[in-house]
Amino acid sequence: MKRPVFTLYCLLVYAFLLAPILVVVGASFNAGNFLTFPPQGLSPRWYVTFFHNDVFMRAIRTSLWVAAVATVISGTIGTMAALYYVQHAGRWKEAVRIAMLAPLLLPEVLTAIALLFFVYAIGIGTTTMIGMIAGHVLITLPFVFINVSASLESFDPSWDMAARSLGADRLTRFRRIMLPLIKPGVIGGALFAFIISFDTFTISFMLKGIGTSTLPIQLFDYLRTNFTPEAAAVSTVSIVLTLVVVIVSEKVLGLRIHRF
Amino acid sequence: MTAARRKGLGPLVLIAPAAVLLGVFLVLPYLNIVVMSFRTPGQGTPYGPGFTTGNYTKFFADSFYLLQVANTLWIGLITTAICLVVGFPVAWQLARGAMRFRALAYGLVLSPLLVGIVIRSYGWTILLGNAGLINRTLTGMGLIDRPLPLMYNALGIVIALVHVFLPFMILPIMAAIQGVDPALESAARSLGASRFTAFRRIVLPLCTPGIQAGCILVFVLSLSAYVTPSLIGGLRVKTMAVTVVDALIDTFQWPWGSALALMLSVTGALCVVIFARLTRMKWKVARP
Repeated sequence: MKRPVFTLYCLLVYAFLLAPILVVVGASFNAGNFLTFPPQGLSPRWYVTFFHNDVFMRAIRTSLWVAAVATVISGTIGTMAALYYVQHAGRWKEAVRIAMLAPLLLPEVLTAIALLFFVYAIGIGTTTMIGMIAGHVLITLPFVFINVSASLESFDPSWDMAARSLGADRLTRFRRIMLPLIKPGVIGGALFAFIISFDTFTISFMLKGIGTSTLPIQLFDYLRTNFTPEAAAVSTVSIVLTLVVVIVSEKVLGLRIHRF
Repeated sequence: MTAARRKGLGPLVLIAPAAVLLGVFLVLPYLNIVVMSFRTPGQGTPYGPGFTTGNYTKFFADSFYLLQVANTLWIGLITTAICLVVGFPVAWQLARGAMRFRALAYGLVLSPLLVGIVIRSYGWTILLGNAGLINRTLTGMGLIDRPLPLMYNALGIVIALVHVFLPFMILPIMAAIQGVDPALESAARSLGASRFTAFRRIVLPLCTPGIQAGCILVFVLSLSAYVTPSLIGGLRVKTMAVTVVDALIDTFQWPWGSALALMLSVTGALCVVIFARLTRMKWKVARP
């Protein structure tokens, strides 16, 4: 392909990637009762409606709460597993990696269904949030693992040995050598875990109890029967929440998030 | 406890929580769902007493479900192929292109991943609907009289799935291209190969692992996608994942739903294995 044609092609793909997101944001300011084109003037009225809608506000709180709990658990477990993987796994390295990535490789819909039956089989059902949180921890675990183990790639065992020869005990070595190395990976992985958990649908949809709908579920239910721009307002707020998390992490912490 | 023993057990504490979590909440549920798929249907309960292979014979006897699996595989295949064609040039540009806007372009490729799948599918319903942005614009310009059927069909599902999964194609291919030394191409060119030949014989075989990874990811993800086919396909076009979830949520046929979900996953896994074999063989043949 000639260079200008090639560039144009790529620009079109970028436009394609952005189009549906921009359309949602644009639609949220539609003043009309329905999503009509061209919009009947601009107005923040659907944001006002949304902020007074208890169902959506409760769903946002549930989502944030589930994402926070899942992030803390999977951040801890995933970091520990990554430390084991890099330093101690030895000949089990490949097995550990595959096991840790398994939730990502298995179809999410099958995992969700399997978990649903399992929580009923062990008798807790969906009356508690255990099933949903376990599901969220499962699907976010690979991202913590990938990020933390990537940050340890540059780790050289001789640094640890040098510190030991200089008299540092185990705790000091961890605090002064390991922790600074893995910190960006842990924070990056946790942020990604939070975003994935906040946005995930299938796991939450299968494992939700009564009154524990997360924001994506509530939005999905709403979209099946309603066509007002309120859904667009909800979506825009959700996008902005995620963007704030990402921008803060990029600017303040200067992180590079590894997705793969 | 001896020092050696402490050294052996200590690190295991690090992996233990992950092992317990994966064992209890992944391995056991998967074993359970396999058992569930052999249970008898219940009367008013999710499943009955005793075991049967009836769920599987029902699946293979009913052409409706076989057709639906074929349809789902077809949608997955088309989505993967389009993602590859659309994504490869972008991956190339990101890996080799001019540096000025690379950070921005990379951000653009990542951005869909940061927006929930429900929201992205919703965006496509706004664009593709009969009274959606595209149809309204085209009728407004007098190009069409009646709205184009963009939604509630396989076309709409594929368009939206390509959007949802394109980053999963671009990122691994980009990583693979970055791993190919541009000097190899120059060497081929200096030995008289045309640009196309150098690309086909040198670059393409070397970034095949990235292409494979991208294709497998997109294919598997589109097979198990629920939200997009459900919102875009509506009631008219159903993929297997939608049928399975609806069967479980609406009718509580657990054994039947388990069998369907497993059959879809196994077929998908088989396709992936066949694909991996075929592509590897092809490149072996291509290299003299």
